[in-house]
Amino acid sequence: MITIKVILIVILLIILRAFLVQKSLILVKRTVAVLMFAGLLFLVLFPDVSTWAANKIGVGRGADLLFYFAHLFFLLVAVSLWQRLMTLTSAVTALSREIAIKNAVRPEETEQSKPTED
Amino acid sequence: MEILSYGGGVGSMAEPSICVIIPAYNEGRVLADVIGELLDYNRSYHLVVIDDGSTDDTSRIARKFPVHLLVHPMNLGQGAALATGIDYALRQRADIIVTFDADGQMRPADIGSLVDVVINEGVDVALGSRFLTAQPEKMPAIRKMTLKLATVFTRLTTGLKITDTHNGIRAFRAEALRRFNITQNEMAHASEILSAITRNKLIYREVPVTIRYTEYSKGKGQPISNAINILFELFSRGTK
Repeated sequence: MITIKVILIVILLIILRAFLVQKSLILVKRTVAVLMFAGLLFLVLFPDVSTWAANKIGVGRGADLLFYFAHLFFLLVAVSLWQRLMTLTSAVTALSREIAIKNAVRPEETEQSKPTED
Repeated sequence: MEILSYGGGVGSMAEPSICVIIPAYNEGRVLADVIGELLDYNRSYHLVVIDDGSTDDTSRIARKFPVHLLVHPMNLGQGAALATGIDYALRQRADIIVTFDADGQMRPADIGSLVDVVINEGVDVALGSRFLTAQPEKMPAIRKMTLKLATVFTRLTTGLKITDTHNGIRAFRAEALRRFNITQNEMAHASEILSAITRNKLIYREVPVTIRYTEYSKGKGQPISNAINILFELFSRGTK
């Protein structure tokens, strides 16, 4: 039981570090991240707490409870990333459109001296 | 900026200025023929080619003709290319804006009939339909099935009683296009345009056109499976 705890704790700390080294991260996000990781660390050290909480709300095992919440969390992440992607796409589209229109080649600027063979 | 002044721009009593928007993505093989055919049909049309970030010689070929050439710095999709062309044509004060494909499927002569309907019958939009003619030429059966299903879907979602929902040949009165934007970058723009027609209560009419199913166009056209993608695009982005 000790081995898995060590593995999980090490991985958690690595991820947390990767998160916190970003200088641009605002304080609120930093705090939320630290609290979240603290919660996860707590659950790793005292797994019985999750079982207790699970039983309270009608779920059999603590692992199952975490499994459900992890799913919801990643769904949330997927949706917000998707929205962000859409925003970026429309920004890129607007930008490309302006560039295309600004650099438009007009008929009199093309080699129209020799239209086609027709 | 007022080079498109054949008819003197909006509101002029003279010849209306007609812009034909041609989105092209890697159409180097057929573009010369398509543009040549259009110029042969009517030299007074202002052709606007949008090279949608092609990796072939599409731009180089377009430059050989008296056309307006707009180049997207990256590939964004047919809907985005159309929207760019429309934006440009409106800024050039076109009176009538036609959408046309670069793959050689469409006949320039059909532009004439669509434009006539817009000018003479006072409609906002003339939509090409390949199903109004006696028998569409050599359309693969499964494609026909998919298009029929798309028609039923469109009737249910937009209430428009039209026979051909994904036909890319259309003629718009410029003012009609000022009332909405195409936000679907990829293929769902066709449905988006139809929703915009309903929402803005635009007056539309379908006009029989002929689509030529060449080996080239069949290869370039959307695979049937893209119908699923279109549905997905429509639901995931919604229509603004």
